Amino acid sequence: MLVRIPPALRSYTGGEDEVVLDVTDLPGILRALEASFPGIRDRVVDEAGRRRPYVNVFVNEDLVREELSSVALKPGDIVHILPSVAGG
Amino acid sequence: MAPKIKKDSVVVAVGTRKGGFLFHSSDRRKWSVAGPFMAGQSVYHMILDPRDGRTLYGAAPHLAEPWGPAVYRGRAGEEPKPTAAPPKFKEGSDLAVSRVWHVEAGPEKDVETIYAGVEPAALFRSRDRGDTWEDIEWLNYHPTRKDWQPGGGGLCLHSILVDPRNPKHLVVGISAVGAFESKDSGRSWSMENRGVRAEFLPNKYPEWGQCVHKLAWDASRDGSMFQQNHSGTYHRGPEGGSWTEVTKGLPSDFGFPIAAHPHRKNTAFVTPLVGAGNRVVPKGQMAVWKTTNSGKTWRRITKGLPGPNAYLGILREGLSVDGEDPLGVYVGTSTGQLFASRDEGESWKMIGDLLPPILSVSAGTAR
Repeated sequence: MLVRIPPALRSYTGGEDEVVLDVTDLPGILRALEASFPGIRDRVVDEAGRRRPYVNVFVNEDLVREELSSVALKPGDIVHILPSVAGG
Repeated sequence: MAPKIKKDSVVVAVGTRKGGFLFHSSDRRKWSVAGPFMAGQSVYHMILDPRDGRTLYGAAPHLAEPWGPAVYRGRAGEEPKPTAAPPKFKEGSDLAVSRVWHVEAGPEKDVETIYAGVEPAALFRSRDRGDTWEDIEWLNYHPTRKDWQPGGGGLCLHSILVDPRNPKHLVVGISAVGAFESKDSGRSWSMENRGVRAEFLPNKYPEWGQCVHKLAWDASRDGSMFQQNHSGTYHRGPEGGSWTEVTKGLPSDFGFPIAAHPHRKNTAFVTPLVGAGNRVVPKGQMAVWKTTNSGKTWRRITKGLPGPNAYLGILREGLSVDGEDPLGVYVGTSTGQLFASRDEGESWKMIGDLLPPILSVSAGTAR
């Protein structure tokens, strides 16, 4: 599974803009990211597990609107973590 | 290249809506500016650690707004970085820190310890300069918490006082819950709101629910304190107990910051606003009000401050004092001006203008 890392979080990944992970769902991605890059999970979800406001997760080109825990992934999917436009 | 911050110079750390700035000066006449640091971020608070005069701590979002809160740390004059982890509530609490409002240095002799006040209201302590945090559970999960209601700025813990005589003695302020005091390093707390009005509640003097805006130790070093509240200005004596309202003589009972003289007892400064419904200085004239007798009387000082037709505001962290003699006093406005006095607040000069809205001002000395 390929995960694209936004510029603001690349300080955690040593500058890498994408990471390959062997996982099958979105919570698995967060766990695997945290295991490799401690602290990065806190930036996507808060300590109660809720996605932070204005942080978007896309699977391929589809915005995940439901709980992250309910989303399964297929081989070849690309996950993007992005700040929302939050503008006007 | 900006001038370096010299040893023994006064440093005024200014947090703004778009980053932090350090105003620094060797003589408090000519000021240089370093920054912006944490550029683009809302810097709710920034301090120069008074224990070493070198370490800068900041409270701001992590690199950009959506990525959650952070405490920053760095050497003054250099870009600070987020610490290893932000303060977090314990697992299973269903609470999550959304913003860090205030960073406070711990005891003089315990240089690794800092405190953070956050939204939703809670107190955290770090014993390693912000890399890991202790959830102060007795306060953060207080039995009344389910009924705590946010003030206009949110449900935030914004005032943290560490007693210089006894580091186990802590006092915190939460909007709109009130003041809490601990004498055992945070293991147990008492509500300390007797005598404080809650004009917006049916019971004007409840046990808790008062909207404390800012707390400050009186320099008497006997535990006396000042308080600026949503409903009045107060002083509390050394034996604790009830607060005494000292609003009489001020133009309103509403304002945000209060700063006490660090060496001269019974002396404090406030910047009253018209009221909760109109948060600007009265009559379009900026003024700092000073007491030298614990609030029994107040004196209005306007020399060097803008007006008439100056309809600006001063936020909760917008007033600070340095430790110099004569005392330096600093006020930042919601319209981006920074004013300084180097004569105990008697006269003022604008030392910064056209800054983003100022969220916090904190003065110290570089070492």
